Amino acid sequence: MSQAATDKPSSPEPKRSNGFRISRRAFLGVSGAAAAVVLAVVLALKRPKLAEPIETQTDSVVAKQDLIPTSCLNCPTRCAILVRKVETTAGKTKVVKISGNSASTYSEGKCCSRSHVGLQVLYNPDRFPYPLVRKAGTEKGRAVDYENDFEEEDWGGALDRIAERLTSPDKLLILQGLNTTSNEDLIRRFALAYGAQNLFDEEGLETAADRKGKMLADGRLDSGYEMVAEDGTSTKYILAFSSGIVESERPLARNLRLWGKLRRELPNKTKVVSFDPRYSVTASRADEWLPINPGSEGAMAMAIAHVILSEGLHDADFINDHTEGFYGYSTLARTQRFSPESVSEISGVPADTIRRIAREFAQSRPAVAWSGEAATSWPYGTLASHAIYCLNALVGSIDVPGGIVYQQQPPYAAMPTEGLAITDTGITFREMADLLRKGAIDTAIGFNSNLIMSVPESTEDGKWDKVLKNLFYVHIGPAKSEMAAYADIILPACTYLEDWGYESAIPGSGYAEARIKQPVIEPRDGSRPTASILFDLATRTPLSAPFGPVESTSETFAEDFAKYRTAPLMGWDDFKNTGVWKGNSYSYRNYAFATDSGKFEFHSDHLERLLNVGLPGEGTDYPLELAIYRPVLEIRSGSQNFPWAQEMYLVMHGRGWRNLVEMNRETAHEHGVGEGDEVVVESPYGEIEGEARVVEGMQPGVVSIATGQGHFASGRFADGMGMNPNDVIGTEYDEESGQPSYFSTRVRIRKA
Amino acid sequence: MANWSMVIDLDKCVGCQACSLACKAENNVPHGSPYEHKRHHDIFWHKVIAASEGEFPSVNTQIIPMPCMHCDHPPCVNVCPSKATYKRGDGIVMQNFRRCLGCRYCIVACPYGARSFNFKDQKDEEYQRPDLPEDLGLSNEGHIGPWPYPHRTRGVVEKCTYCFHRIDQALENGEEVGSKLDGHHGVLPACVEACPTEARYFGDLDDPNSAVSKLLASRSFIKLREEMLTSPKTIYLPR
Repeated sequence: MSQAATDKPSSPEPKRSNGFRISRRAFLGVSGAAAAVVLAVVLALKRPKLAEPIETQTDSVVAKQDLIPTSCLNCPTRCAILVRKVETTAGKTKVVKISGNSASTYSEGKCCSRSHVGLQVLYNPDRFPYPLVRKAGTEKGRAVDYENDFEEEDWGGALDRIAERLTSPDKLLILQGLNTTSNEDLIRRFALAYGAQNLFDEEGLETAADRKGKMLADGRLDSGYEMVAEDGTSTKYILAFSSGIVESERPLARNLRLWGKLRRELPNKTKVVSFDPRYSVTASRADEWLPINPGSEGAMAMAIAHVILSEGLHDADFINDHTEGFYGYSTLARTQRFSPESVSEISGVPADTIRRIAREFAQSRPAVAWSGEAATSWPYGTLASHAIYCLNALVGSIDVPGGIVYQQQPPYAAMPTEGLAITDTGITFREMADLLRKGAIDTAIGFNSNLIMSVPESTEDGKWDKVLKNLFYVHIGPAKSEMAAYADIILPACTYLEDWGYESAIPGSGYAEARIKQPVIEPRDGSRPTASILFDLATRTPLSAPFGPVESTSETFAEDFAKYRTAPLMGWDDFKNTGVWKGNSYSYRNYAFATDSGKFEFHSDHLERLLNVGLPGEGTDYPLELAIYRPVLEIRSGSQNFPWAQEMYLVMHGRGWRNLVEMNRETAHEHGVGEGDEVVVESPYGEIEGEARVVEGMQPGVVSIATGQGHFASGRFADGMGMNPNDVIGTEYDEESGQPSYFSTRVRIRKA
Repeated sequence: MANWSMVIDLDKCVGCQACSLACKAENNVPHGSPYEHKRHHDIFWHKVIAASEGEFPSVNTQIIPMPCMHCDHPPCVNVCPSKATYKRGDGIVMQNFRRCLGCRYCIVACPYGARSFNFKDQKDEEYQRPDLPEDLGLSNEGHIGPWPYPHRTRGVVEKCTYCFHRIDQALENGEEVGSKLDGHHGVLPACVEACPTEARYFGDLDDPNSAVSKLLASRSFIKLREEMLTSPKTIYLPR
């Protein structure tokens, strides 16, 4: 801009003396003046450039400010938030800030760092402006070119094309990524009305084994760690089995808030002990970090049970009154192979330490054993989860304040079941993989799906790449993503900040909490709510009353549905104003287990499999173990096209815009790798290249890589940053739950 | 006049970086890019750093949130040739963008790396913030400081202001400012308000009843690089 340079007054022209005769004094004067001109010019050029003249910028007068209660959707915790929106007299509207909503007691009005990124989710420059239809003959996958591979289509035309494909319910696969609870209800409802059995919820990729192991014991899917009860009773001892309580475990914002309480605000500071191969944020914040070999967490849980049972430290009252199968479990746990000495050999934790931790755990009640993804994402993951969960029962931490509680659900208005084609829908990951391998699926619809980034063997020409290329795939989501790169039709759904809906609190608090979702601005560009898309799709297919008693139109369906379902909670206007509904206080000691026996069941079948742990260094071809982890700023909707999240991605390393191949100094030395070297991580399934990071806080023989990077079609701030560790992870399944086992792949490294 | 101070409890902090993000949103601080990241050209008014020590398995990593320390004896003010940076009566160290020459002496002088230089124009629609008040002019008398955040200025140094605009506005409206220990609080800087673990406290150091004074009286505390005689007013409670 030149205004800045010209508004600086320049020095007057120096006066010349007559003719060519210049006196010495005049000469000095001339040169002095010239120097002054040069200086003035230099200063003028050096002046900061302004984007536009200051005077024109003072017309921004705020006409209206709103603080809109809604809820976040950057991770499954779905916290209540307040969104500040400003409108100027010039008619400009902008959403400028997101903060926690103090009406929510669930996380005490706090939200985590992910919530703030919501602004960039809303104003993501790589959102789709209109429905897109793939041109014939273009290639799907990594080679995607959004500009040239797709052509614009109007909403009606795009929906007609999808409806044409909906001919056989058995051949349809519905993929559900991270969606608003109300949209999840609608997607499920649509599947039931249409008769589609094959609905895969991508949350199951991470949590299926963990949930299954817990369900074996108590028959329920809604158990959570309470940490601090409403009356202030707190957990006194937390044993974290590779769980990132303060970085990735849900409900994150609640965990963070209560962590602050447990550490300093309540009397008698809670002791936290972390078993983890990696010095994670949680391990670094815990009182004790005990490095452990990957995959030996389940065996460790059994060794702790061994000590508790041998020394008679268990809660006999709870076990006698409310459990089943204790004898078999106790007999197995007390065998020599689960003794601290034996488990010490596979876990790498000294036997004396195991004994000490077991005693502390049993004697500081309420104590909880918290299983993390890294402990349960194994071929025997369900068993590991079960073994860890049983420790809670041993010390009587089930359904007591500060222990395990069962989440209550808000009493939403019921949806009648008549007219539905089927009564249940949902498949495991293994079932989905089998269906696709057999070619039983020809059409897939993904709602915010992020499948290709999160499955094992996600490489180009890997099996998922091929499978997805052969499907007719409809992607429903707001912005560019890897799944959109495989789409035949892309429908731009609006983001969670432009949508109507409701959210239920996930397990943690015990008492129920519902949060509203309401648009802070009208859907940007041409995007539409998921609810409207489903409504329009239903009217194009011969479904009878798919959405029950809700009378509505396509435009208002999202709001009408949320209004109908939440009517029993509170008045709609009240709900819109406060944003949060809270249920009755939780009542403890109901012991309402949903098992066959009606009691908490200890299972001991196959638990000895937990001892079959492959140790680091074993096997000459692939001597290292690969452990992935999820940093706090991995936005769980699957996109990472958010510069705020990118630039401070790895807080422990002070690095952003990438992930790193992290390893112990000793391991790095053995492989001739130094800090900052480019290294290749290689497995039988593929290889990836990344920057080495040499650290002390890592079990030797383990290589650790953060997930969430390695995008190739998500937009300008995500593509080409870092690598996706799933590219080298092979497909193995947890036998019980069908969840992929992300941690059992072995790798080797070499310098690039 | 108050003597503002921030106390950060390192035992509660878990490095989630909600503070850094809240600061970026509140103060309209531009985001960086991989290029800028590599050259340390990206602008942070607040940053969370991690410092590791020890050898496996006895490792210790401190996660330290770093706003400006708002020193009582700020070296940046001493070296500024144009009086662009100055200390207000209430102890907040300010930066006047209009006076700043961009010489970056202050960045060299600051022992905490709390200052950033703005290397780039902000042309984006992204940084048009209609809600922020207009520029308050060149005067640096009293508490009037720079308020040019509706646009950004290339070639000047930027820094944390303890969200002085929130404090000033609250005092003008007769609202309370600062943290309390009973769960309630007055108006707070954005990072303090956003902290999900409530590890941060803000208040008046001269008021013995403020949360910050009480915390400092009840626990041992550390000031970073005290040997530099800067006397920082962002104070840490160790684990």
